[in-house]
Amino acid sequence: MSKSKAILIDITKCIGCLSCEAACKELHGFPQDPEPKLSPTAFTIVEQHGDRFVRRMCMNCQDPACASACLVGALKKTELGPVTYDSSKCIGCRYCLVACPFNVPRYQWAKLAPFVTKCDMCYARQAQGQPPACVEACPVQASIVGWRDEILEEAQRRILGESKYVKRIYGSEEVGGTSVFYISDIPFEKLGFTSVQSQPMPVLTANALGDIPTVVMVGGGLLAGLYWITNRRKLVALAEAEEAAGRSGNGKDPHHV
Amino acid sequence: MSNIRLPKVTFWRMVVAVIFLVGAYAAYARFALGFEKSTHLADSQPWGLWVGLGTLCGVGISAGGFAIAAAVYLLGFERYRPVVRAAVLLSFLGYLSVIVGMMYELGLPWRIWHPIVMWNRRSVLFEVSWCVMLYTTVLSLEFSPSLVEKIPWVRLRDFYLKWHHQILIALVLIGAILSSLHQSFLGGLYLLAKGKVDPLWYSSYLPTLFYLSAVPAGLAATIMAVYLCNRSLSARVDPRLLSEMSQIIAPMLYVYALLRGIDLATHGAAGYLFRWREETLLFWCEIALFVIAPVFLLSQPKVRNNPNALYGTCALVVMGFMANRLNVSITAFQASSGFYYVPKWTEFALTLATVTASGVIFHYAVKHLEILPRSIPAKNWMTTHPAEA
Repeated sequence: MSKSKAILIDITKCIGCLSCEAACKELHGFPQDPEPKLSPTAFTIVEQHGDRFVRRMCMNCQDPACASACLVGALKKTELGPVTYDSSKCIGCRYCLVACPFNVPRYQWAKLAPFVTKCDMCYARQAQGQPPACVEACPVQASIVGWRDEILEEAQRRILGESKYVKRIYGSEEVGGTSVFYISDIPFEKLGFTSVQSQPMPVLTANALGDIPTVVMVGGGLLAGLYWITNRRKLVALAEAEEAAGRSGNGKDPHHV
Repeated sequence: MSNIRLPKVTFWRMVVAVIFLVGAYAAYARFALGFEKSTHLADSQPWGLWVGLGTLCGVGISAGGFAIAAAVYLLGFERYRPVVRAAVLLSFLGYLSVIVGMMYELGLPWRIWHPIVMWNRRSVLFEVSWCVMLYTTVLSLEFSPSLVEKIPWVRLRDFYLKWHHQILIALVLIGAILSSLHQSFLGGLYLLAKGKVDPLWYSSYLPTLFYLSAVPAGLAATIMAVYLCNRSLSARVDPRLLSEMSQIIAPMLYVYALLRGIDLATHGAAGYLFRWREETLLFWCEIALFVIAPVFLLSQPKVRNNPNALYGTCALVVMGFMANRLNVSITAFQASSGFYYVPKWTEFALTLATVTASGVIFHYAVKHLEILPRSIPAKNWMTTHPAEA
C-alpha cells in the first residue's frame, strides 16, 4: 500500500473556523448546524480543548478493526487508503461500533432501516484525483492530503524542525498505523486522544481464529477416538454375553429378540 | 351446544398471555418506531440486552444439548439417555430463540442471510454466524425423530428413522465441534474491544472462559428443565440421575474459577478486585452466584439429593452465568464509554416474550411428543420407547 493517501492534521495551525465541518456536511447533504460530536450527520467535527482545536474524523486505519469485525465485509480498506462502507452488504449488527478503538462509527438509531455512518476520506473524490472536501475547505492548511509516505515525511520534518511540537506523530504507530496523522504542540493525552495499542487490532482475534483447524482436528479426532472405544466396549460386552448365552446352552442369540 | 372447547383460563396462561401481549407491543415499537424509541442503545453501547441476554445467554444456556448428546452417543454414558431428547430440544429451542432474537436485534434483519454469500474469514462474528447456522441445522436433525415418529405412514417413517440412525453419530460429533467453536467465539468477539472492556472481564482467554462457563450453565439448565417436567408434566426421570449430573458441574466450575483467577492475577487485574466501585461489586455478585455458592451447595449430599434444593442450586448457576454474560457485554463497557446503559422496558419485554415462547413450545413438546419417559403410557405408535431407543 505504498501509494495510498493520507491526511495530516496540524493542531497548531487549526483556527477552529469549522470550514471542514461545513464542507463535509455540504458534500453529504446534511443540515448545516454544527454538532458537538461525530454523528450520522457529522463525519468530522472540531473539538475545543483549551485554546486548541482538534478535528475528529475516521482514522482510516491501515489494518482496521472495523473491517476485520464486519462479518459480511461491508467495511473495507481500499488500496487508496480510505476505509469504505458498502451499505448494500451491511446487516446492521453494529460489531464495527464495538470494535473501533477510536469510537468513530455511528449508527442511525432513529431510522427504521438504519445504516452505519462514518467518514471514508471522500473515497469517491480521491479516486478521481480530488482532495477530500474537508481538506480542500481548510483556509489555513491545517489539514493537508497527499501520498502517505510523503505526508509522513512532512510530519516528521515539521516536528523535528520546530521545537514547539511534541515529538510524536499520532497515527504513525497507533494500531499499526492509520491514514490520518496528527501533530501537536500539546501532549495528545491532554487533547482527548485515546491511547491504543501499537499492534493492529485484528491481531487480537487472529490467534483465536487460527485455532479453528486445531479445534476441529484435535477435538474431532479425540471425540472420534472416544467413540471408537465406546463402541468397541459395547461390541466386546455383546460378544461376551453371546458367548455366555451359548455356554448356558439355550442356544438363543440374545440380541435377536 | 358448540363443540369447540375453549382453553381453560388458568393463572399461568394469563401470565403467558400478558407477556405475549406486552411483547407484541414491544415488537411493534421496535419495527414501526425504530431502535431509538424501543431501546436505550447508543453509539457508545451498541450492543445491549438483546445481545447480552438474548444471544450470549441464549446460546450459552443451550450448551446442554451438545454436552449430553456427546456424553451419551460418543462417550458411552448410557445412563443419561433418558434426558438426551430433553437436552437436545432445550438447545434447539434456545438456538431458535436466538435466531428470532436476531430478527429484532439486527438493524436490517431481512438481510440475515447475507453471511451465507458475503464472507469475511477474518471476522469472529462471521465464524459465529456460520457455526450457529450449521449447529441449528444439526440440532433440527438431532431433534427430528421426535416429530417424524409421529408420522402415520410407516414406510416413510421407517425410512427416515433408519437414515437418521446411520448419520446420528456423525451429527453428534459435528455438533460437539461446532458448539465448542462458537461457544468460545462468542467470548472471542470481545477480544477486539481491548481497551474498552474493564480489566475484570477482559482476557486473552475470553474464548476459553466462555466455553468453560457455557457447559456447566447448559447442564444446570437441562437439570432445571427435566426437574420441572418431572414436577408438572408427569415425566419420570430418576432424580438420582439429575443428582449425578449435577456432580459434573462442580468440577467444571472449579476449573473455570481456577483459570479465571490465574488469568486475573497474571494480567494485572488483581488490583481491581477490591475497589469500591460498581463493576467490582457486580463482579463479586457474578462470582458468588456462579462459582462460590454452587460449589459449596453441590458439595453437600443433602442438597444434591434433594430435587428442590438441586433445582435452586442449578438456578444459581444459570443466574451466575447470566450475570457473567451481562457483565461482559454491558457492565464492562460502562467505565470506558462513560455511558450508563439501562435497557428500556421494551427490550426486556421482547426478550421475555421470546424466552416464554420457547418455554411454551417446550411444554407442549414434552406433553405431546416422546421427549422424556413418562408415567402415563404413550399412545400406541412403536414397540419400544423412543427416549430409550
